[in-house]
Amino acid sequence: MTTLDTRPHITDEVPGNYLTFRRGILSWIFTLDHKRIGVMYLVAVLSSFFVGGVMALLVRTKLLFPGEVSWMTADQYNKAFTLHGAIMVFLVIIPSIPAALGNFVLPIMLGAKDVAFPRLNLFSFYLWVMGAACAVYSLLAGGFDTGWTFYTPYSSQFGAGGTIPVLVGVFILGFSSIFTGLNFIVTIHKLRPPGMTWFRMPLFLWAVYATAIIQVLATPVLGITVALLVVERAFNIGIFDASMGGDPVLFQHFFWFYSHPAVYIMILPGMGIISEIIAVHSHRHIFGFRFIAFSSIAIAIFSFLVWGHHMFTSGQSPLMNVLFSAITFSVAIPSAVKVFNWLATLYKGSISLNTTMLYGLAFIFLFTIGGLTGIPLAVLSTDIHLHDTYYVVAHFHYVMMGSALIAMVGGLHHWWPKMTGRMFSEFWGRIGCTLVFVGFNVTFFTQFMLGSQGMPRRYYAYQPEFKMYHHISTGGSYIMGIGFVITAIYLIHSLFAGKKAPANPWGGASLEWQCSSPPPHDNFATTPRVGDCYDFSAVHWDEKLQGYVVDTEAHVAAARSDSASGKGH
Amino acid sequence: MVRERETPFDDEQARFSAGVLGMWILLAVLAVLFVAAILGYLAVRIDNGSAFIPANAPSLPLLLLVSTAFLVLSSLTMQMALRAARTGGASQGRMMMATLGLALGFLVVQALAWRGLLAEDFGPTGSLYAWTFFVLTALHGAHVVGGLPPMVITTWRASRGAYTPENHRGIAYCAMYWHFLDGAWLVLYATIWLGSIR
Ligand SMILES: [Cu+2]
Repeated sequence: MTTLDTRPHITDEVPGNYLTFRRGILSWIFTLDHKRIGVMYLVAVLSSFFVGGVMALLVRTKLLFPGEVSWMTADQYNKAFTLHGAIMVFLVIIPSIPAALGNFVLPIMLGAKDVAFPRLNLFSFYLWVMGAACAVYSLLAGGFDTGWTFYTPYSSQFGAGGTIPVLVGVFILGFSSIFTGLNFIVTIHKLRPPGMTWFRMPLFLWAVYATAIIQVLATPVLGITVALLVVERAFNIGIFDASMGGDPVLFQHFFWFYSHPAVYIMILPGMGIISEIIAVHSHRHIFGFRFIAFSSIAIAIFSFLVWGHHMFTSGQSPLMNVLFSAITFSVAIPSAVKVFNWLATLYKGSISLNTTMLYGLAFIFLFTIGGLTGIPLAVLSTDIHLHDTYYVVAHFHYVMMGSALIAMVGGLHHWWPKMTGRMFSEFWGRIGCTLVFVGFNVTFFTQFMLGSQGMPRRYYAYQPEFKMYHHISTGGSYIMGIGFVITAIYLIHSLFAGKKAPANPWGGASLEWQCSSPPPHDNFATTPRVGDCYDFSAVHWDEKLQGYVVDTEAHVAAARSDSASGKGH
Repeated sequence: MVRERETPFDDEQARFSAGVLGMWILLAVLAVLFVAAILGYLAVRIDNGSAFIPANAPSLPLLLLVSTAFLVLSSLTMQMALRAARTGGASQGRMMMATLGLALGFLVVQALAWRGLLAEDFGPTGSLYAWTFFVLTALHGAHVVGGLPPMVITTWRASRGAYTPENHRGIAYCAMYWHFLDGAWLVLYATIWLGSIR
């Protein structure tokens, strides 16, 4: 097998690809195929993203006016931003990359036929659906207005009528996330093909692996926390109730023990995608493979030791504050290691400035801002001023949206031809990406100014001096909204009218580019042989196929001689 | 109709070892869950000192010793069932029945202990001390109840001698889970007992 079969694998009994393997709605509902489950997750996550986005635009539109507006009361405003936050965190960003994109590409990148436990995988998806259903039910039962952090005693004693249902939903979503993580850890351990050592494994998988460890070890804490909160709210007594001898700050400890690592559940897989995008679209071997790989693990470990930086103003002891502050700074090291290695990869690379790469570059830019603006929040003295202001809002949007979600959208473009078998419009893609990038910065950079001048987050009304910044920020959110609408339109359009995608449109060397687009049901007829997935020397453009072809013999041989000579990476 | 594959593994041994790793991770997840609950309990217990225990609080029900004995015994019979399955022995069914019976016995005794406390007017809403007792035992009890459906299926299959030296995945996974619940209870019981000392 020196060249690759770029046409769909058509054998006697297996028709076409995974989309046509079986037909009918039931074949999707009961599917065990990781690719179909990934696609179902993708549709579900993107639909939730739409709802969460509409909520964001409603909140921003309200903030055009400093005082009361007739069409949204203060209570409705509280519910709108809470809904926005909860949807974006629990229904969108946490499952977006691992469960949607990861499900699709992880087994293919390993040359495996599926994840280790296909039934558990489908079960995870339906847990997600049940969690989302609980959130919808909560809206019918009076909604929830606690903010996505559910702080006690507001959530346990006050709060709108739908608080218990949404907490149950969060509990269920937590287990959906845990089972996905469990599945991925076992898959990566047990289904790597012969020849794919840990250091021959794509960096996206390293990132997903580190993420899975956090999912598995941190999420149970969220589970028990919301379970205790539900019981407390239902029976009016519990360990977070100060009047009974309980401790409301204990809730914050528990919550952030999960939710800080959860930030890395969101960002780490995004970093993994960026490693793929940067290497493939600059056609250059990733620089510092081991550094990037180990920094993922380092971030995963650090993530468990910094939760207290959310609680500098909670009355936590000064010694604790100092320790948490110091450990938080150390997270900057592995993060910066990644950024420098991506930049070094780009240096002298032959960069294709296509839509996907634009998202990759946007990530590096936005993540750098997001990371650096975190420093004043980790510094104890400045945090006292910035705590609970728009500065914090801006900071975590740069990391959660500007980085994690932008990486997700970048990954969506990177693997879109693989998933759908169609090419999207590059022209509209670049316009969409530019609008999102510009709109994002206009929206959120402004909020750094708002926050540092003292505008508190979550407020319905504001002082007249903040009006200009709020107007600019809202304008930016509209630009971003238009960018995402354009993106949705050209992606959906490509499904019907897009050019047929070759197996390898970008020139990737990892295994997912070596099966047809879209892949057949079993991914690979035989377990493929692996080379160095960032060695692009054996990847050539084929004019006839209008795509790249990997010369497998040369690719694998190069990897062999590398490891024989001890050169490695 | 073409069928989708149900497992990516081609041989049984690889599938089994993946399943065992998956079970270890599941147990780690549950361990974190229990540890977090215990830490939450200890935080409020230590914060309040002996004032945490109301003056009229009854001592821990002695029935807990009985239920503990049931659970430890069920762990033993579970292990014997697994050993029988590994050698294809016929006693696997009987041993699983015994395990299931002891598990149900455990739940019944726990419920009796609860009833005794309620009868002494020591209900979960009376004090945080009572609340933590009921919540922690309920947390463990819920995991026992959750383990029953797979236990019933495994017992039914074992009683038909379904587990062989070549394939005893189901019973092996059950045993891992069951031993974990046994250990978790012992830790939990020790914590509750220590917490009940003024
Ligand atoms: Cu944090």
